[in-house]
Amino acid sequence: MKRYLILFLLCFQGLLAQVQFEAKVSKTTLGLNERLRVDFVMNIDGDNFVQPSFDGFRIIAGPSQQVSQSWINGKTSFEKSYSYFLLPNQKGNLVIKQAMIEYNGQIYKTQPIRINVTAATEQPRDPNDSQVSADDNLYLVADISNTNPYINQPITVVYKLYFNNIGIRGFEKVNDPKYNDFWNQNIDIPKLVPEEGMFKGEQYRYVVLRKTVLYPQKSGKLVIEPLSLDIGVQLPTNRRNMFGEVILVDDNKRVSAGAKTINVKPLPEAGKPVDFTGAVGTFDFKAIPSKTTLKNGESLDLVLSVAGTGNLKLFTLPKPEVPNALEMYDPVHDEKVTTPLSGMTGKISDSYTIIPQYKGDYIIKPMHFSYFDLATGTYKTISSKEIKISVLDGPTQTATATATASTGKNKIGGVEQFQYIDLRTKLTASNEPAFFGSNKFYGLLLLPFLLLPIIVLFKKKKEAIDSDVFGNRIKMNNRLAKKYLSEAKKQINNKEPFYVALEKAMHNFLKAKLHIETSEMSKDNIRELLLSKKANPEAVNDFIALTENCEIARYAPSSSATIQHDFDKAVLIISELEKQI
Amino acid sequence: MKNVFYILLLISQVFYAQTGFEEGNNLYQNAKYAEAAKAYESVLEAKKQSAELYFNLGNCYYKLHQTAPAIYNYEKALVLDPTNKEALNNIKFAQKQTIDEIKVVPKVGFAKLLRDFTGIYPFETWAWISIGLAFLFLSFFVAYYFYQTVTIKRIFFFGMFVILLLLVMSISAAFFEKSHFDNERPAIVFAESADVRSEPQNASAAIFVLHPGTKVYVFETVGNWKKIELTDGTEGWIDKQAIKEVKD
Repeated sequence: MKRYLILFLLCFQGLLAQVQFEAKVSKTTLGLNERLRVDFVMNIDGDNFVQPSFDGFRIIAGPSQQVSQSWINGKTSFEKSYSYFLLPNQKGNLVIKQAMIEYNGQIYKTQPIRINVTAATEQPRDPNDSQVSADDNLYLVADISNTNPYINQPITVVYKLYFNNIGIRGFEKVNDPKYNDFWNQNIDIPKLVPEEGMFKGEQYRYVVLRKTVLYPQKSGKLVIEPLSLDIGVQLPTNRRNMFGEVILVDDNKRVSAGAKTINVKPLPEAGKPVDFTGAVGTFDFKAIPSKTTLKNGESLDLVLSVAGTGNLKLFTLPKPEVPNALEMYDPVHDEKVTTPLSGMTGKISDSYTIIPQYKGDYIIKPMHFSYFDLATGTYKTISSKEIKISVLDGPTQTATATATASTGKNKIGGVEQFQYIDLRTKLTASNEPAFFGSNKFYGLLLLPFLLLPIIVLFKKKKEAIDSDVFGNRIKMNNRLAKKYLSEAKKQINNKEPFYVALEKAMHNFLKAKLHIETSEMSKDNIRELLLSKKANPEAVNDFIALTENCEIARYAPSSSATIQHDFDKAVLIISELEKQI
Repeated sequence: MKNVFYILLLISQVFYAQTGFEEGNNLYQNAKYAEAAKAYESVLEAKKQSAELYFNLGNCYYKLHQTAPAIYNYEKALVLDPTNKEALNNIKFAQKQTIDEIKVVPKVGFAKLLRDFTGIYPFETWAWISIGLAFLFLSFFVAYYFYQTVTIKRIFFFGMFVILLLLVMSISAAFFEKSHFDNERPAIVFAESADVRSEPQNASAAIFVLHPGTKVYVFETVGNWKKIELTDGTEGWIDKQAIKEVKD
């Protein structure tokens, strides 16, 4: 008995002294998808429990407090625990830090616990539960019509949800795909209709969730981001309700169609027209004016339209080039395009309002529209016809005609007209050098200045000559002698004038040579003077004889032979005397 | 004999050219503008020209709605005869057919005043005026030199200096006009659409686009490019194939 007492005392002592406070975990290694139970257990009734911060975990339940006290065979045991259920947020080594309690003024702490979180583990199937897994019976598939299109060639993406043996409550979009580098258009699906189809070799039911038409805008590998859906599913169980119907279990399942890569081909460079603006498809191009003959002040509409199938909203229409006498306003753009799954189809048009400013005929040049034809893989160009616009009346371009008040009068003039051709011309050689700068120009320019000194010299000379009276007289007589001699020659057939002229010639010759006047002219005087000038006496005699002969012959009959002889003689004597004097 | 042959050849050419002109006129009167243009062009090919010929050719192209050649030929007519009223009138009609509308910014300042004066006549006329003045100077000198009366002598002496001054002015005007004529190189855009770039390279950015019939002035040539200025003062580089210079 005594021994028991001692033992009891010891025990009691031990119990009193031994305060236990520890953390217990259900496991130290767990998968990412598994739960962890953590108990903080103490054998005292501690107060002020401070839970640790569960870094890396999410508390899904707890804390739950539990107190138990038992007496077994008179032995009292006390236990108080705080429990948590945790779910790891991440993989790796995590630490559950210390928790604290206070007891009798003392603070007790637990040991930190290391937890190794591994990748998610396969959940063992409950063999009793014949529940159909959503995993094998729910698929989201993206059907792409063409994974190797040209730029701007339409492709379609159809998202289908295949399911089998399970019910669908509804779905919620988690992640909407972004079609970067695509022009996209969703086709509305008013009501989801389940259909039957083969999938993976089995009969499945499916719904088309979404249809999208895409026009790639860039060449190269483009990625379509996946569509993720959170689908509420109803899974049948092997339990039945009281009416024998299968009990369905609601669950959520996340499905996603994988990312798809599309390899976009660029349009061929070979044969690419200069005015190609990126139209791809099959089109017809028209340019239609509302009218071509109009009066001043009226306007006309020029409608350029492209109709067909292709990327209608993704290119620009050609711009008409009009003469500047036509005022053209910015176009009104109109699109009548529908987008079925096959791609955009319809018509786009630009309507230009044109107001002519002046009278005349104007040409709007043909416009060209180029597109890439997918069917043939070549570029095609459609040209519009040349448009001729006649403006019937209105001001000509230069007319500043002010409205005159005088009505009823046909006012002519003041209006500039297109001038008719010139009917006359004087053609010149086209390579004729310019007169200015030519030698001819400089010559003509300098000629007057070169003439100046010549004129001055000429005048000086003339003055000198004029002042020489004696010399002038000689010159004059000489000239007269020659003149009469030539006259005599002319009159060689008429005797009388011949001898008169011959005599005058000889007299003048003497006057010039001997510097004498007519009054001094006598035979003796002449002879004397001539001889004093050292003339040949024979020639002097001949001269005198001839002078006398002239007087006689004037009245005497003589033949033409003698006349000729006399003339020759006169010439001979004069030339001889000329030499001698 | 050889000379006679050359003269004959020359005469026949002149005759041929003249008939080409007449033929063109006849065709134009019958509204056969394309054939008329061809006839006129044949005259040009025979190295013959006149302001009227270019004017008629411009009219043909205007009627054929070929704006660029029309303006080009009117400009050629105006180079030969800057005061040709008919060409000045019809070029306005042709310019209304062009697509580009470019303002003409008037020049101002002393240079403009000077040019207004010298531009009264082309340099060839100034050259002839100079020569006339030189001969007038000579006659004044002769009169001064030979007249005996003192008053008349004085008048002519004074007149000589006035004429000398006028002569210097007209020669300077001729030189000024000639250099202006040589430096001013108008050209007409012929290409359907021609990009004008900021640098003489294909890679450089296109500043604007010109269309047929627009008049530009050429400043320099670098390789395949010509530096041009528009009538509103905008500058740029254009492919030399796209334009045709009027004074070529």
